[in-house]
Amino acid sequence: MWATNLKVFGVVIGTLLVYTLVCNKIPQMQSEVPVKLALGPNSTSDELVAAGEKVFNGIGGCTACHGLGTRAPNLLTDEKGAGPIGARCGKREAGKDCKAYLYESLDEPAKFVVSGYQPIMPKITAMVPPEQAWALVAFLESQGGTVDVTGADIAKAAPGAAAPAATGGGGGGGGGAGGGFAGGSTDPKAIIKEAGCTNCHKIAGNGGAIGPDLTHVGSRRDAAAIKKKVSDPASDVTKGFENFAGVMPKNFATMMSPAQLDALANYLASQK
Amino acid sequence: MADGMYMLAAAAADSVRSYGEFPVIGARAAVWIAAEVHLMFAAFVLGVPMFAVVAEAIGIFGGEARYDRLAKEFTRLLLVAYSATAIWGAILVFLLSTLYPRFWAYLTAVFGPSMWLYAGLFFLESFTLYLYYYGWDRWKYGGSKKVHLGLGVLLNVWGTVVMLIANSWLTYMMSPPRDITSTTDPYSIRLWHAIANATWMPINIHRIIANVVFGGAIVGAYASYRFLAARTDEERAHYDWMGYIGNFIAMSALIVLPFAGYYLGREIYQYDQSMGITMMGGFMSWLWVIQAFLIAVLFLAGNYYLWIGMGRIPGAERYQGYIKYLLIVLVLGAIVWGTPHTMIADSKELAAMGGSHHPLLGALGVMSAKNTAVNLMILATFLSFLLYRRGNKQITVPWAQTGTMIQAAMFAIAAAIVLFYGIRGYFVEAIVRIGFSVYQVLAVLACIIGVTIIDTMMGRGAKTMGEIQWGKMPARSQYALFILAVTFTWLMGLMGFARSGIRQYWHVWQVMEDTSKYAATPALGYASIVISVCVLIFLSLVGFVFWLGGLAEKSTYVPAGKEAQHVGH
Repeated sequence: MWATNLKVFGVVIGTLLVYTLVCNKIPQMQSEVPVKLALGPNSTSDELVAAGEKVFNGIGGCTACHGLGTRAPNLLTDEKGAGPIGARCGKREAGKDCKAYLYESLDEPAKFVVSGYQPIMPKITAMVPPEQAWALVAFLESQGGTVDVTGADIAKAAPGAAAPAATGGGGGGGGGAGGGFAGGSTDPKAIIKEAGCTNCHKIAGNGGAIGPDLTHVGSRRDAAAIKKKVSDPASDVTKGFENFAGVMPKNFATMMSPAQLDALANYLASQK
Repeated sequence: MADGMYMLAAAAADSVRSYGEFPVIGARAAVWIAAEVHLMFAAFVLGVPMFAVVAEAIGIFGGEARYDRLAKEFTRLLLVAYSATAIWGAILVFLLSTLYPRFWAYLTAVFGPSMWLYAGLFFLESFTLYLYYYGWDRWKYGGSKKVHLGLGVLLNVWGTVVMLIANSWLTYMMSPPRDITSTTDPYSIRLWHAIANATWMPINIHRIIANVVFGGAIVGAYASYRFLAARTDEERAHYDWMGYIGNFIAMSALIVLPFAGYYLGREIYQYDQSMGITMMGGFMSWLWVIQAFLIAVLFLAGNYYLWIGMGRIPGAERYQGYIKYLLIVLVLGAIVWGTPHTMIADSKELAAMGGSHHPLLGALGVMSAKNTAVNLMILATFLSFLLYRRGNKQITVPWAQTGTMIQAAMFAIAAAIVLFYGIRGYFVEAIVRIGFSVYQVLAVLACIIGVTIIDTMMGRGAKTMGEIQWGKMPARSQYALFILAVTFTWLMGLMGFARSGIRQYWHVWQVMEDTSKYAATPALGYASIVISVCVLIFLSLVGFVFWLGGLAEKSTYVPAGKEAQHVGH
C-alpha cells in the first residue's frame, strides 16, 4: 500500500514540477505599474525618445498590435517596403510633416486608418498625458527619421497653453485626463468638434460612417439613453454596427465634466 | 448615514493603513493561496453534487442500484469537503479584511446585502446536504426516494446561487459598469447594477461547466486511487467502472468548455478592448501557450485512458488499428495549438525579429490554424469514444453498413468544413475570420449530435461479443487519471491567474487602484509556483478527505456477477 501511495505522490509531484519548470523556462514578463515620467520644457530630444520608448512598451500598449503584422502596421520595422515609421511618416499625408502626422494619429486615430486595417486604435492622447504623447511621437520619429520634437512642444501642450498649431505638431491635445474638452466649454458643438465625434459619426449630415448616423439620434434615444451610451458604449450596440462594437472609446464620459456630458446629451437628444 | 459610515471607514482605513503585511510570502501570495484553495474546494462541492444527483436519478429511473450507491459514496465525501470550503472561505475573509482593509471596505459597501444572503444560503445548503446524506437510507423507497432526489436537486440549486453571488463580486472587480468611477460613492451603487456587470453571466456559464469537468476529474482520481488500493477483484471492477464514468463526464464537459471560454473572451473584448488585448496579446500571451500545452495533456491522457480501456472489451481489438491515426491527429493538433503567435516583446526584440512572428512557424500560430487544430482534436476524441463504445457490439440492424458509411461521411464533412474555413481564414480580414470559428464549431457539434443519434439507433438489438472485463486494467491507466486530475486543477489555477491578472494594477478596473507594493502583476514563473503550491495543498487535503471517507464507511463496491452499464447507452 505504501508503494502505491508513493507512486501516486510521485506522479502528482512530478506533474506539478514539470508544469512549474516549463513556466519558469519561458520569457518572464511582469506587468508593471506605469511610472510617472518627469518631462518638461527643458527635456532634450534624447530624453523624450527614451521616455517615448517606455510609453511605447508600457502604458501605451502599442506592442500589443503594432509589429504583429495582422492587427496594425509595423512601426519599428519595414511596412510594405516603405521603411519604419520614422522614414515614412512625413509622406503619409500631403502637407503634413512627420510630427504633425504622428501626433494627430495619436489624437484622432480613426482619421488615419491605414488601408487594410480595422479602426481599432484607441485615442492615445486620452490615455496618456500630453508630455507622454509627445515623447511617443519623438520615439516614433527616431525609428528611421529625424527627431524634431522638443521640450517646447510639451510646454505648448501644458494646461492653459494654446493648442499646438497643426503644422507644428498636431491638433488639440483633446480633453486630456479629465480636463474637459474645449477648455471646459458647455457648447455642444465645440465638444463634438474637440472630441472628434464626427470622425466616426455623421452629425447634421457631416462625418464618418464607422458609427451610427447621429443626425436624427434624438428620435431614437432620449438624453438619458445618450448619456448612458456615451458613458458605456458597450451597453448596447446599434443594429448594423455589430462589427464595430468596442471601437468607440469608453472613456469619453470621464474626459468631460458632468455639465459637458449633460449639454452634449441634451443637444443630441434634440436632433430629431 | 450610510455614506458617512463608508467615508468614515475609508478614512480610517486610509489614515491607519490601506494594506497589511503578511510574513515571508507577503500579503498578495497569502490572499492568492487562500482564495485559490477556497475556490478549488468550492468547485469540488459544486461539481460533485451535480454528479451525485445525476447518478442517483440514473439509479432510480434506470433501475441500476450501483449508481445509487455511487451517488451516496460521493455525498459522503462532500460532508468533509464542505467544512474545508467554509474554513478556507473564513481564512480568505480574515486575510482580506486585515491585509486589504480599504479594498474590503469598498467591496462590503457595494455588496454588503448580497454577502448576508450568501451566508444564509450557505447555511441552507449545508443543512440540505446533511438531510440529503443522512436521509439516504431512511428515504430509500417509493415516493420518499423521489423526495430525496428532490433534496439533491435543491442542494444543487443552493450551491449554484451561492456561486452566482460570489461570481458577481469578482466580476465586478474585472468589469464594473462604466458609469461607476473612482469618485462614485459605493453606497450609491445599486446592488443589481453591480451584480449584473458585463462578465458576470459569461463567468457563471464557464464556471458551471468547469465545475462539472473538475468534479468528474476528481471523481476519476478518487476511483483510481481506490482501484490501486483494492484488495479484491470485485472492488477493483467497481472502481474501474467509477473511474471510467468520472473520465467520461470530465471529457464530455471539457469538449463544451472552450465554447464558453470564447463567449467570456468576446465579452471581455466588448467591455474593454485594451483589457482583451492585454489578455491575449499583452504580457499574458505566453500564458495561452502554456494553456494549450495543458489542454493537449488533457486530450492525450483522456484518449490514452480510453485506448487502454479498449483492452478490456472483447471485440475492441477490431479498432486498435485506428488508434495510431488518432494519436497523429492529436499530437499534430497539440503542436499547432501550442505554437506561439502574439509574443509581447520590447522594441529591440521586435526590430530584431522583424515582427513578433517566427518567420516559419508564425503561420501556424494564428487563430485560423489554432481553431482548426482544436476542432480536429475534439473530433478525434469523439471518434475514440465512439470506437470504445462500439468495442464489444456486433451491430445487427440491416442498415448497419449504410449507417456506418453515413457516420464516416459526417466525420469527413465536418473535418472538411473545419479545414476549409481554417485555410480560408488566411485570406480574409480578421473580423471575418473570427466569424469562421462559429461555422467550424457548428460543423463539429452537428457531427457529434448526428453521429450519436445514428449510433444509438444502430445499437438497438446489437449482439454482445463478450462482457466488459471491468477491473482488468493495467495500473498505468490509473495514473493517467491522476494526471488528468492534477492537470485540471492546475489549469483552473492558471485560468484564475489570467482572469484576475488582466486587471493589472487595479483592485477594481479603472475604479480603485492597487497602490500596494504588490500592485504589479507577477510573471508566469512566479505565478506557476503559487499555483503549484495551491494545487498541492488542495490535493493533500482532498486526499485526507478521501481517507476519512474510507474510514467512515465500507466502500460500495459491486458484488460479483453484475455488469455495469455503459454511460451513454
